[in-house]
This record gives sequence, structure tokens and C-alpha cells, in this order.
Amino acid sequence: MAKLEFVDLSVKLGERTLLDGITLSLAPGEFVALIGPNGAGKTTLLKTALALRTPTSGSVRLAGASVAELSARKRAGLIAWLPQHIRTEEPVTGLESVAAARYRFSESHAHSRRAAERALGRVGASAYAERRVTELSGGERQRVAFACLVAQEAETLLFDEPANHLDPAQQLDVYRLLGELWREGRSILCINHDVNLLHHLGDGGRATRGRVVGLRGGRFVFDVPFDSPALPAQVGALFGMDVESLQGSEQRFIVPRSRSTR
Amino acid sequence: MKLRAALLVIACALLLLAAVFVGPRLAGAQGQFIVWQLRVPRVLVGVLVGATLALVGAVFQALFQNPLATSDTVGTTAGATVGALFALALDGSRTVQGLPLVTVCAFGGALGASLLVASFASSRTAHSSDVLLAGIAVTLATSALASGIQYVSDSRALFAATQWSLGQLPQVGYRGVLLLAPICALSCTLLLLLTRPLQAFALGEDLAHSQGVNVPRLRLFALGLGSLGVAACVAWCGPIAFVGLIVPHLVRRLLGSSYRVLLPMSLCVGATLLVSCDAFARLIVPGRELPVGIVTAALGAPALVLLVARGRR
Repeated sequence: MAKLEFVDLSVKLGERTLLDGITLSLAPGEFVALIGPNGAGKTTLLKTALALRTPTSGSVRLAGASVAELSARKRAGLIAWLPQHIRTEEPVTGLESVAAARYRFSESHAHSRRAAERALGRVGASAYAERRVTELSGGERQRVAFACLVAQEAETLLFDEPANHLDPAQQLDVYRLLGELWREGRSILCINHDVNLLHHLGDGGRATRGRVVGLRGGRFVFDVPFDSPALPAQVGALFGMDVESLQGSEQRFIVPRSRSTR
Repeated sequence: MKLRAALLVIACALLLLAAVFVGPRLAGAQGQFIVWQLRVPRVLVGVLVGATLALVGAVFQALFQNPLATSDTVGTTAGATVGALFALALDGSRTVQGLPLVTVCAFGGALGASLLVASFASSRTAHSSDVLLAGIAVTLATSALASGIQYVSDSRALFAATQWSLGQLPQVGYRGVLLLAPICALSCTLLLLLTRPLQAFALGEDLAHSQGVNVPRLRLFALGLGSLGVAACVAWCGPIAFVGLIVPHLVRRLLGSSYRVLLPMSLCVGATLLVSCDAFARLIVPGRELPVGIVTAALGAPALVLLVARGRR
């Protein structure tokens, strides 16, 4: 299984520093939720792991090799990505989009389509198989992209705000599905704005193996387990809010009360 | 969907066959000569050029994720124009190894301009929109060069240049067909092999990259192969507008956006459309032929507006 490591990673864009000396590792089967204010560098971090962005210094290693040196096909077997937005002008059907995500496999188109049907079924998007993605809503299109990621069958999965565009019930569905993929042994790095949703990954025993990593201004701020008693205070400080920690019947809720007065 | 595609292929085949017989009534030995020595090779050139322009249009639209992209967008036509103007300014009737100098220079110009853009496209850091911009820059620069050549040309060369720029299917006989066929066949066959990675582009270049597509390499192959085919077409026929732009949109409307269908069907429909337009151009003014480029542009522009307006709904 592949281990994903960011080693003293910095990314600069002109004068701006997007990431500043990030060291973080995601062991096989681990779940890391990445949180931080807008512009903290979360998406940039995911993009360096996909070799979509080149580090200014430091490196990203996947299964022991630098991601920049892996062949595109090999990398696609190790790591897959759900981007935040899918923009497209091409009126291609959901099924064809997902079948195309099987590019890394050398297989017949019929085989790709069957795998695509299974993936769409798994994420509850079978209804979109024959619809054109340009006619789908943002949330529906996100489901199709989720099916693409499932169809790619990579070991490590990157999610950029997977609950974006979704209504609350669907957000729970997505996190339940993330939990399933995690229990299958995949490692997951997930950008997330609401730590309360992590409860829905399910399986309390395993939840202790998940971590929350805070990022702000391109810098590493904290790295704590899901159930850490320090998490509410950390989250509050990270976003500059006063937060309240409420104990519900099954989970702890971290709820913002007001902006911090500094 | 399969039935529709099959019907469309049959319709294309019938139209192509009919195009040979469109025109003044022919009889006797002279008629035989006109049909077999003039019309049939001309239809064959039309098939090759129409198919190549339409397929390359579809591939470039997929590659740039831009519904307006064609081979014109990456400087191929502008480069060919500079080459042709240069040759016409020198001497329009000169030949090289039995080939018209205009054709040779247009081919060279088209390849030169597209290679500039393609070399930029193969860079790891370039995004599709950057490549489009490079294409526009090369087009503008070559247009300036073309204006400069026109400024120093005499009036006969200018008239010849205007004729060339209208775009027409020339009487090149079977020899022209034999010269054009291998280049078009190579370009189209290899482009069709790129269907799978191109399909991954439909949801965006970055996602395709994450799914294992080697984006710079795909861009270089698609641009290079597409430009090669189009350069050969433009060299013989001049710029023929709208076929590359409109045919993929037409096929999309009829059969959807699965590239496994869209790319080969664009090839079929492009061939048929160009040959039909050429047959139409033989009829429209009695006793004279219009350049087919005028017909495709006159029909293409309103058709595109209609297609896009209806597609948006």
C-alpha cells in the first residue's frame, strides 16, 4: 500500500507563499481531515500530491517515489482526486464520463462501462447515467465526479470539500460513503469545513485512527486525533471564532458562537 | 442511438454517390471523361479534405474544451496563407518537383506555424487556455506578415491571393488524390486512436491528468497530427471555412458527445458536407462554378448560430 508524504513542502507563486514548510504523512489506511480558513493552501496541498503543482522546495512522495517522477498511469493507480468544482461545456453522459475515468486500465470499452455502472450505483448516481453532465446541477455533477473517483480504484483518495453543493441529507450520504471506502483499507485526505460531519464516517472504534490537521496561511497549525478534547479550542483558534462544544446523544458538536474579539 | 448512427452513415454514402452526378447532363465519350477524370477525383479530394477538417475540428474542441476551437485557432490556416502569399508574390505558376509552388509553400507555412504552437503546448506547465492564446498570437503575427507580403505584391499576385483565400476543391486529378490520401489517412487514423484519453478531457484537463492521462504528450500528439492533416488540406484547397467548426456541433446534436461516436461520425459527415457543398456550388450559378469556401461560409455561419442557440436551451 502507498504512503503519501509531504516533506518540508513549500509552494510560492510570485511573491505569495501558498504553502510554507508543510510536513505531513498519510499512512496506508489512515484518514486525515484537512481544515483551515479560505486561502489556507488546502487545495494547493492536494494539487502538489497530484503533480498538478510543482513544489518550490521540498517534495511530495508517494509509495516511496517522488510524484513528479511517476508515470501518469502509475500515479493514477496510486492516487485519485475529487475536485471541488467540475466545469464542462461538453454534453457527455454521466456513464461515459465515469467510463473515461478508467483510462489507467487496459480494458475493453464494454468492461469500462460495466465498471462505470457499478461505480454510479455505489454513489447513488445511477439516475444520472444517461443524462448529460451539462444538464446536471452542481451537486449532481459532484456525484458523477465521485463515481469517477470510485471507478478509478486508486489506493489513496483526495477529496476537496466533497460535501460542497449538497443538501444536509446528501452530506451524510457522502460521509458514510467516505467511511466505507476508508474501511476498505484506502487512505483518505479530505478537505472539510465541518468537523461534525466526521462522525458520520461511522465505526466509532476506528474513528480514533482519524486525524484532523489544521492549516492557516500556508502553515501547519495542528494535527490531533478526531476525538481529541483539545479539538474545539484548536478549531476556534484556527478560524478566529469562539466555539462551543456541545455533547449530543451520540457525538460532540463543535458550534461557532461568535467571531473572536482580538 | 446505434440505429441513428447507421442511418446517418447510409445517408452520407448516398449523398456522396449522388454528388458525382450533380451538374450538367453528360453523355458520350466526353461525358465519361468528365465524370471519371474530373468529377470523381474532385469528389475524392472533397472526401479527404472534409473528413480531415471535421475530425480535426472535433479533436481540437475536445482538446481545448472549447466549442469554438478549430484548426484555425492554432495558426495552421494563417501559416498556410503566409506561405501561399509568399509563393504567389514570387511567381504563382512556378512548380517544385512537379508540385505547384503555392501548395508547397502553404504546406510549409501551415506546419511551421502549428509547430510553434505545438512546441509551446508540450510544455509541462502550459494549460489549454495558454495554448489557445499562443495560437491566437501566432495567428496575429502571421497575419501581419501576410499583410506585409500583400503590400509589396503586384495586382496580379493580389488577385491570385484573393482567389486562393476563398478556398476551393481544385482539379488535381488522381495524382492530387494520391498525394493527399496518405497524409490525411495517417492523420485521421492516429487521431482516432486518441479517443480514449480525449474522452477523459471532457470533465476537465486537471481531472484527466489525475486519471492518468499524460496531458502534455496528448496535446503534442493531437496538435501535431491534426495540423499535419489540415496543412495538407489547406495547401491544396486554401482555407475552407466552417467545416471543422460546424460538423462536430451538428453530430453532437444528433448523436451526443461520446467521442467513440462523435469522432468517426464527424469524419463521415464532414466528408459528405464538403462534397455536397461543392456539388451545390456547381449548380448555383449556371455555367460557372463558385468556390466551395463561399458556400460553406454562407451556409455555415447561420447554421452554427442555430445549432448553438438551440443547444443552449
